Amino acid sequence: MSTMTETRQRRGATGTGPGEAELRRARRRDGWSRRLPLLPALIFTIVVTQLPFLLTIWYSLRSWNLLRPDGNIFVGLQNFIDIFSDSTFRVAALNSILITLGCVAVALVLGTVFAVLLDREFLGRGIVRTLLITPFLIMPVASSMLWSVSMLNPSYGMVNWVIGLVGIEPIDFTSSAPLLSVIIALVWQWTPFMMLLILAGLQAQAKDVLEAASLDGAGWWKTFTLVTLPQLRRYMELAVLLGSIYVVNTFDQIYLMTAGGPGTASANLPFYIYQRAFLGFDIGQAAAMGVIVVIATIIIATFALRLIFRSFDDKEQA
Amino acid sequence: MSTAPATTAPAADGAPRAAARTRQRWTSTRTYINAGIIVLWCLVPFYWMVLTAFRDVGYTFDQSFWPTHVTLDNFVTAFSTDLGNHFGRSLFNSFFIGICTTAIGLLFGVFAAYALARLNFRFKFIVLGFILGASMFPGVAIVTPLFQLFTNIGWMGTYQALIIPDISFVLPLTVYTLTAFFREMPWELEEAARIDGCTQGQAFRKVIMPLAAPAVFTTAILAFISAWNEFLIASQLSSDATAPVTVAIASFAGAQPHQEPYTAVMAAGTIVTVPLVIMVLIFQRKIVAGLTAGGVK
Repeated sequence: MSTMTETRQRRGATGTGPGEAELRRARRRDGWSRRLPLLPALIFTIVVTQLPFLLTIWYSLRSWNLLRPDGNIFVGLQNFIDIFSDSTFRVAALNSILITLGCVAVALVLGTVFAVLLDREFLGRGIVRTLLITPFLIMPVASSMLWSVSMLNPSYGMVNWVIGLVGIEPIDFTSSAPLLSVIIALVWQWTPFMMLLILAGLQAQAKDVLEAASLDGAGWWKTFTLVTLPQLRRYMELAVLLGSIYVVNTFDQIYLMTAGGPGTASANLPFYIYQRAFLGFDIGQAAAMGVIVVIATIIIATFALRLIFRSFDDKEQA
Repeated sequence: MSTAPATTAPAADGAPRAAARTRQRWTSTRTYINAGIIVLWCLVPFYWMVLTAFRDVGYTFDQSFWPTHVTLDNFVTAFSTDLGNHFGRSLFNSFFIGICTTAIGLLFGVFAAYALARLNFRFKFIVLGFILGASMFPGVAIVTPLFQLFTNIGWMGTYQALIIPDISFVLPLTVYTLTAFFREMPWELEEAARIDGCTQGQAFRKVIMPLAAPAVFTTAILAFISAWNEFLIASQLSSDATAPVTVAIASFAGAQPHQEPYTAVMAAGTIVTVPLVIMVLIFQRKIVAGLTAGGVK
């Protein structure tokens, strides 16, 4: 119930005089009333995401297949051992890595190019920027269809129409190059995200440094590689980390474009987990894989959060 | 319109100035060519989809860059329930789920963001980190327990079984975006209102809320889009009656895409994407501000 400065003063004056206990109690009450507005969001997030995750951990330690009624017994880490000897799991893990790296790398380069192109004044800049972000906001289900049917379909997809113009036979992209098809669709979706972050970085850079560089006779390319890129580094790191976290968890595109096929050639981890749980009914193994995905996500997320907080801290001090 | 700042135009006359002007014109032309390429990259896939959506089903394989055999039949097919599709109903479901999710997510989000941006307490960064971390949490790791849980309490196929998980996905976004916005607000006004005799609650309602309205609105758009796009959870926890439009479209496309009515699928795709493109164009400034506030500020 008091303002920030008052609290700081009071904090500075701890440990004096007889009313100390009472003061501390008041402060604690005060602290709780400050946290009160947070509680609904916090409790909700914990109940809906963390409690189910605890259940997932519990499931992962049990042999539980809905097709085997005798199942559901505690088996310790057996599921994890089984998973790592499962060759499909290894393929899915590798696919996850390939899809994430491929998508993030290409989207970052394209996003940087687009951001540089958009970082200057011209008529209609706002509209171009808006059109550029629509692929990011559009329903992933719809954009998967857009790519698998409308763009890459062998009979009338536009890409095949275009390569047909120069005399190349139509290619059934989603079955002959499933990973590539998924990556193309993901790059289309994620380039705007990268572009927005990097554009923010470009607009935050100090203009006097650029002027100094041009006075020193540095050309555009030199200025870009030696001055702009180092300044963009933090924005790029953040774009790569956040992008990776979300792309690792890609499900819609795989489900709709290739269904993990042919066979399991293009299944990534989330899709394989879905298959094990809802088509194979193997709750235990699916849960164990879920735990692994969460651990991988937490590792990347730790780096991402550290970056975000660094920028928050900078602001706090400013 | 020109790309070089006006102040750099040299006072010299004759040839150098003409050369500079040519160069400037070339730079500006190049900018427009680049912008054109970007627009093509974003819009051509949409264009092809819309083209197919309006083309007579008998001419599905008619490849042409221009509209041919224009018809509205595909939209009628998309909405028809003869084939076991529930597209119309699913549109309503998506709106209903999206609005409920946005409203509750914003209500919780505004309070949490206010506390995070405005009040001082210990563990603030841990709380913020936890909420952010939840946004990165893979949905696939919790869908099985949710499935079991909702089956046990008889919630399978109900709206709340879809809305509650959606809120938890939307909350990190609302909390984070609003926190970034709230940090930038003129909070002196709140103190001024308190000095004038408002309680903290009144100051929040009468002074802060009107100022925060644009930020809240932007966040609402983003939250709605995020709920509108959700597929994984909905595909497992919904029934025919409550399936949102993502699930309806996915079952249009189906497991055997080679037997599906492409033109009707494209019509359905057009219905769910084109309004979004228009909405983004209308609210472009707000949306860009919202996306970057969450990401980098």
